[in-house]
Amino acid sequence: MSQNISQISETNSGTNKNIILEVRELTRRFGGLVAVNHVSFGVHEDEIFGLIGPNGAGKTTLFNLITSLIPISSGELFYQGVRISQLCCHQIAGLGIARTFQNIRLFGELSALENIIIARHVHTKSNLITGILELPTAVKEEKRSRQKALELLELVGLSDRATENARNLAYGDQRRLEIARALALEPKILLLDEPAAGMNPSEKHQLSQFIRDLRSLFNLTIILIEHHVPLVMGLCDRIAVLDFGELIALGEPSVVRNDPAVIEAYLGNE
Amino acid sequence: MELILQELLNGLSIGSVYAIFALGYTLVYSILGIINLAHGAIFTLGAYFTYTLMGGSFGFNGLLANAAIPVKLPFFLALILGSMLAGLVGVLVERIAFQPLRRQSADPLLTVVSSLGVAVVLVNLIQYLVGAESYTFPANTFGNIPPAFNFGNSDHPIPIRSVQIIIFAVSAVFVLLLTYFINLTKYGKAIQAIAEDAVTASLLGINTDRLTMLTFFISSFLAGLAGTLVASSVSIPGPYFGIAFGLRGLAVVVLGGLGSIPGAVLGGLVIGLVEAFVPGEFSGYKDAVAFAILFIMLVVRPQGLLGKQFVQKV
Amino acid sequence: MSEFFSTYGSLIVSMVLGALLGLSLYLPLMTGQLSLASPGFYALGGYIAAILSTKVFNQSSHEFSIFYLLLEMGIAGIVCGLLGIAVGIPTLRLRGIYLAIATIAFGEVLRVVSLNLEITGGAVGIFGIPQPFPNQISYLWVALPLLIVSMLILYRLERIRVGRAFIAIREDELVAGAMGINPTYYKILAFTLGAILAGVVGAISAHFLNTWNARQGTFDASIIYLTFVLIGGSRTFVGPVLGGIVFTALPEILRNLAQTNGLPDWLAHFLQDGRLIIFGLLIVTGTIFFPQGIVTPNIFNIFNIFTRKSKKI
Repeated sequence: MSQNISQISETNSGTNKNIILEVRELTRRFGGLVAVNHVSFGVHEDEIFGLIGPNGAGKTTLFNLITSLIPISSGELFYQGVRISQLCCHQIAGLGIARTFQNIRLFGELSALENIIIARHVHTKSNLITGILELPTAVKEEKRSRQKALELLELVGLSDRATENARNLAYGDQRRLEIARALALEPKILLLDEPAAGMNPSEKHQLSQFIRDLRSLFNLTIILIEHHVPLVMGLCDRIAVLDFGELIALGEPSVVRNDPAVIEAYLGNE
Repeated sequence: MELILQELLNGLSIGSVYAIFALGYTLVYSILGIINLAHGAIFTLGAYFTYTLMGGSFGFNGLLANAAIPVKLPFFLALILGSMLAGLVGVLVERIAFQPLRRQSADPLLTVVSSLGVAVVLVNLIQYLVGAESYTFPANTFGNIPPAFNFGNSDHPIPIRSVQIIIFAVSAVFVLLLTYFINLTKYGKAIQAIAEDAVTASLLGINTDRLTMLTFFISSFLAGLAGTLVASSVSIPGPYFGIAFGLRGLAVVVLGGLGSIPGAVLGGLVIGLVEAFVPGEFSGYKDAVAFAILFIMLVVRPQGLLGKQFVQKV
Repeated sequence: MSEFFSTYGSLIVSMVLGALLGLSLYLPLMTGQLSLASPGFYALGGYIAAILSTKVFNQSSHEFSIFYLLLEMGIAGIVCGLLGIAVGIPTLRLRGIYLAIATIAFGEVLRVVSLNLEITGGAVGIFGIPQPFPNQISYLWVALPLLIVSMLILYRLERIRVGRAFIAIREDELVAGAMGINPTYYKILAFTLGAILAGVVGAISAHFLNTWNARQGTFDASIIYLTFVLIGGSRTFVGPVLGGIVFTALPEILRNLAQTNGLPDWLAHFLQDGRLIIFGLLIVTGTIFFPQGIVTPNIFNIFNIFTRKSKKI
């Protein structure tokens, strides 16, 4: 059934963009429970791809599978055409897939700036010896990391909070910091897990615009889990709908919105 | 052949003590997610309590030199009372050291470290009060029971010390009692509920606080029981013997699987038997056997033989 | 002055060595791992020095040059480093309490093996380890530079990429991985650094104490080092250093305190003999009231106030 859906979406979108991330028959079992059930779809480069579904549908689990935070039970994962299913978490981050978390997971005891600098890890090389001995390459690298981190802080409007401990920041600021931290990886794909949670309508609107800006600024592909349906409908190029771990619809917002299966499972119950 | 039978019975005997000791560990772990490293210290206390209740007097070191209480209880009564006293100490420890940490939602590891501190306090308190000498239980501990039974015939005698039979019997009785309690009584089932999901259990009206105290009482009772049994078989070599036993108890629970009652029993018997069958020339390494098994289990299969595999919540 | 040094020389050196052992526990703790393996590596380092100096180098006591001591330290460091990697790889997949238990088990296995081998002298241990120095306080020539260098390294470490990776792993290992940091690599690195340090300190201690036996690597020792870090401070290297210094000196302080006039008998007696009880109570209260120890990273901010530096970004 999922195969038919993706075929429909391909012909509907009309363009023949590159598929930067492909999920194929991805499955995750926990004991007797199937959290993600043979889900397949492809995400186009530079698109803003939405992932919606009722609570417990398996959206965050899918993110966790893509970023290898939990092991895949069966199925495959492809990034730019290359199989990455066997890679571990830090390797996938190194390839350029970054994420934020549903329950914000910043390094609370560290400052906002340090949170971002830490994420520069894959783009820096200094090791124990060069770092401790303060060799010129290491020092230069440190300066550059700091500079980049400050730029990112500026981008999300948190420059004045650079030295604050991350857990002392306001909730909205923490969300923005998490995005800045993910951006520090210089990713090609950004996974945002409910970035608008806890925001009021005007903040959600700003966030929408911000996400669009991010896409053009950094040439990002963005995959977005979100509960707030209007936000998703207005922002995403295509939307996938999960219910009980299965993909029940995939396509442009106008198509998905009218899909009877989606209405029944999700929109109808709201 | 006789040697094998003897070693087998030795192994079962010490294994059964390991089992009840490990049961105490596993009970506390399943309900609080912590490993109470003071368990070994309470094991020691139990031995000392029973010794005192039987009228034993202390040596000439320590604050309570030459002291003795004016009663001389028979063994089995002293055993039960001594273990109950140990149980009470366990509850005290829980109230004073662990509960404040629980209130702070502290990392379980912090509680484990605290339990280390408690162990140090208890053991050194014993040493401070009664010195570090060894104490043996009086010769007529078991009353009229003969010191050994002959399991063979007159041609091939297989002497088995009666104390080992008693140890095995007492341990078996308490394992059965505990199993009955956990599975068939209201409190036991409540404890199981808390072990599954503490939050839901308390939402369902289960008084987790009181049941935690009860669990600690039972756990420490079993520790005291084990301590007494071991001490009655050999002697109390000094206040530190519980620490070594406590470490070995860790090997048992990890082997059997933390949180699993049948696992604790199985682990105890396995390690008891393995230790008993260590050949004579390697007897110095006997202590290392349990730790080697522990290390290997942790590396190969941390959930033990019968434990549940843990899934980390992301 | 020289009388002070002759009475307290041994204690001062012990304090410095204590600080170093605290640091050896601090290193794995920077990645969030509670490892109680330091005593094992400490004992191993000591045995290496003891065996080498008594059986291999075969120098008589008053001819034992510092060169040999440094050589032994180097060898102890390398051996403990390799063993650290070997032990670390399988065990560092474990988390929390399981890791702590695995390290305890490791230490105990080492201890029992050392009790039984002939080369380690069995239960009796090794005696008459040669002295490179004429008196106890001269050991500071080796111990103090080691401490200073270690402190400098740790000071730098907390400010560079590798150190940040350690801290990220400690704060949230899963998320650190999602940010591109390889947790296993850095955990093994931290663990091995701690092992090397403990081994080197062991090598010095074997000479310092003149004899060496299996009692050096016990579970009790790990509790004592734990106190250094737990109460001293687990979030900055200054904590274990201060903890090591203060708590190594504590028994001596208590003994002197016990001799003050006018103290009730039982209190004096307790201060003198009950010091381990006091350690234990410190651990229990420390976990409740000072879960991160007394010295926190904020201490560096205090220095900023004194030098009137503006808050650096």
